[in-house]
Amino acid sequence: MPATSPPTGRWGDPVEAVEVTAIGLAPNVSPSGATTSPQGDDMFEWSEEQLMIRDAVRQFVQTEIAPKREELEHGDLPPYEILRKLFATFGMDVMARDRFKHQIEREKRVAAGEEAAPAAPVRRGGGDPNSIAMTMLPIIEICRHSPGMVTAMGVSMGLTSAAIMSKGTIAQKERWALDLLTLDKVGAWAITEPGSGSDAFGSMRSSARRDGDEYLLNGSKTFITNGPHADTIVFICKLDEGNPMEDRKIVSFVLDRGMPGLEQSKPLRKMGMHSSPTGELFLTDVRVGRDRLIGETEDVASGGRAGAKDTFSMERSGVAAMSLGIIERCLELSVQYAKDRVQFGKPIGEFQLIQDKLARMEVARLNVQNLVFRFIEMSAAGAPLSLAEASAMKLYAARAATEVAMEAVQLHGGNGYMAEYQVEQLARDAKVLQIYAGTDEIQITHIAKDLLRR
Amino acid sequence: MHVVVCVKQIPDPAEPGKLEGDLTLDRSGKLILDESDSYGVEMALQLVDKAGGGEVTLVSMAPNNENSGLRTALAMGAAKAILISDPLLSGAGALDTAKVLAAAIKSAEPDLVLTATESSDGYTGTVPEQIAALLGLPSITFAKEVHIDGQSVNVRRQTEDGYDEVTCSLPAVVSVTAGVVEPRYPSFKGIMAAKSKPVEEQTVVGLGLDPARVGVAGAGQEIVAVEDAPVREAGEIIVDDGEAFTNIVSFLDGLKLI
Ligand SMILES: Cc1cc2nc3c(=O)[nH]c(=O)nc-3n(C[C@H](O)[C@H](O)[C@H](O)COP(=O)(O)OP(=O)(O)OC[C@H]3O[C@@H](n4cnc5c(N)ncnc54)[C@H](O)[C@@H]3O)c2cc1C
Ligand SMILES: Cc1cc2nc3c(=O)[nH]c(=O)nc-3n(C[C@H](O)[C@H](O)[C@H](O)COP(=O)(O)OP(=O)(O)OC[C@H]3O[C@@H](n4cnc5c(N)ncnc54)[C@H](O)[C@@H]3O)c2cc1C
Repeated sequence: MPATSPPTGRWGDPVEAVEVTAIGLAPNVSPSGATTSPQGDDMFEWSEEQLMIRDAVRQFVQTEIAPKREELEHGDLPPYEILRKLFATFGMDVMARDRFKHQIEREKRVAAGEEAAPAAPVRRGGGDPNSIAMTMLPIIEICRHSPGMVTAMGVSMGLTSAAIMSKGTIAQKERWALDLLTLDKVGAWAITEPGSGSDAFGSMRSSARRDGDEYLLNGSKTFITNGPHADTIVFICKLDEGNPMEDRKIVSFVLDRGMPGLEQSKPLRKMGMHSSPTGELFLTDVRVGRDRLIGETEDVASGGRAGAKDTFSMERSGVAAMSLGIIERCLELSVQYAKDRVQFGKPIGEFQLIQDKLARMEVARLNVQNLVFRFIEMSAAGAPLSLAEASAMKLYAARAATEVAMEAVQLHGGNGYMAEYQVEQLARDAKVLQIYAGTDEIQITHIAKDLLRR
Repeated sequence: MHVVVCVKQIPDPAEPGKLEGDLTLDRSGKLILDESDSYGVEMALQLVDKAGGGEVTLVSMAPNNENSGLRTALAMGAAKAILISDPLLSGAGALDTAKVLAAAIKSAEPDLVLTATESSDGYTGTVPEQIAALLGLPSITFAKEVHIDGQSVNVRRQTEDGYDEVTCSLPAVVSVTAGVVEPRYPSFKGIMAAKSKPVEEQTVVGLGLDPARVGVAGAGQEIVAVEDAPVREAGEIIVDDGEAFTNIVSFLDGLKLI
């Protein structure tokens, strides 16, 4: 989940409007149901229905996820079965299937010339804040207990499916994307390599070489979410035509688990997000046909670099929602602890230094919540966030989540450092929000570039 | 198959309760679906599914046209609701409640009426039987399993050491024991659909009831005082000097347990 600075040649370009999509939603898929009722009021709080969704998911998380913390955090229990149960319980799989059917039918009519192709890329949103809230609320609620689970879910049904849904052929979408959107299959999206992270394209070594009608894929990927368990992998690499590295086109292939020459490592040990398995991929002469080349063409816009960049921006709003869940939970636990814990003869909440911490946490919660509301409103209005705005949102939210979680540990004293208290886990989990989906430094670069070119 | 489920909307038990000046419970805030009734809703939805058709209608009496709890049950899958809300009903007791619910149920003409065995807040556990008596319908209590067989209903009634099997004709009023089915979560689609499902708002006069016979006017009861439950007396502590068993034996003997 890296981010790149735009290739040097594009420095002077105007900021592209990007379709910002939450982790978990495929882009270019209009929300289910034709009835889009624009919410008349500006959004400053969750609506009644949205609160019902929140409460229902919160109850699910309480009964299905919270009690399994030990196995998820310290026992390598993969998150997928619980996530599938979540999908089935709330009909998210059925909704995904309906949406998919809708879109594919339209694309087929367009392909057959029965319907005009939409002039502009189909905008997300289209006036229904509820359909966007339906994606954000589960992210927020699950993150109160298991941000790792959201990472696993978002990469599979968000990033991986989006890569196929945005650039794939109809046949490829039917073959791979639907199962990812319903979570029947687990997906991984692989761009990062041992030698290339923030500079994802510049230092990328993974390659595809033509071999007759087929391609031979080689390379290794690391830090790949769902890598150890993925059924479907989007592998991003450079087309090796014997030309200089920096001129090579970026192409993506879809791989299936078990293909000869593809090795998926065991989960790597890491600081947090234990409920999200992260691994390495090794490809040695993996032979694939053109049917696995996304879009079935090597001629992709701006050498393939733009396509992947859309994907970077799309994760960023998801990170804001994740941050909100972490902040809400840390604040809740901290307020309670400040009331309960007595030192020097009074609850620690009576000390001004503790009050300062709580007040700052509340400020962070309000700000991040407002960012999430703004994102929902803008998406509903069909107004895309610019890349710089999405970066600003991600940067602020990720930092706020990490700070709040670390302060929550501090407020809990020694207990805060113990695994028994949840803030210890949330603090470890929060940190990665500043690293994946583009590091803080890369977000800052994007924001500054946008400011300086105005 | 048309099933009416009586659902009580109650103040959230997680919030601290408050009494009004007349010593009745403050019900002015948001009311939620009584968890006891979520089992009846689930069972009704299952019965309709099994019957291969029909629908579930909710009936609720609550102040201030409050329908938050109803929306929850509608989101689970009930088709519509009748909500009786009327200032005339303030101060209603169990019997008034039963009269009002019975009148609403009658207007819905169901094949079967489900209730909980007792509510979580009032818990007199008398409303279902009163409804049955007022409507002249058979009443079966403490159901753990309900099967519909043509024109009759077969119920396994929970007892202390097992269950009784009881059959009666339809329509009937059956009260459902808590925990016997797992109430479903509302799907996201269900939640979105709940808002547009019909909720018929009814009043005392609208149901053809005499205002003098319901609510505080007809309650036939008055709350004169509310007191804290007596604190439990501290138990007797016996320090075991090796002979404590004799104290226990004589204690149990005193209770005529051995
Ligand atoms: C839990 C987890 C899950 C992940 N999941 C995936 C996944 O599913 N798929 C995938 O492809 N990748 C994934 N990643 C990889 C992630 O996207 C990268 O780790 C991230 O983009 C940073 O790259 P890097 O680790 O190589 O750090 P580097 O790029 O080496 O960065 C090192 C430091 O240098 C800074 N830096 C780099 N360039 C600049 C610059 N131009 N200016 C200023 N500072 C700079 C960085 O901000 C950072 O502080 C995951 C990572 C983690 C930790
Ligand atoms: C000591 C005492 C204090 C009381 N205080 C108050 C008070 O403060 N405020 C007040 O309004 N009433 C008060 N009541 C009245 C009491 O709430 C009523 O008796 C109530 O309306 C129904 O009784 P229940 O909750 O005990 O029903 P139960 O007989 O326990 O209920 C069994 C089932 O009948 C159905 N049912 C019951 N009531 C309804 C309903 N209203 N709508 C739909 N289905 C229903 C449900 O399925 C329920 O689970 C009090 C009664 C007592 C004895």
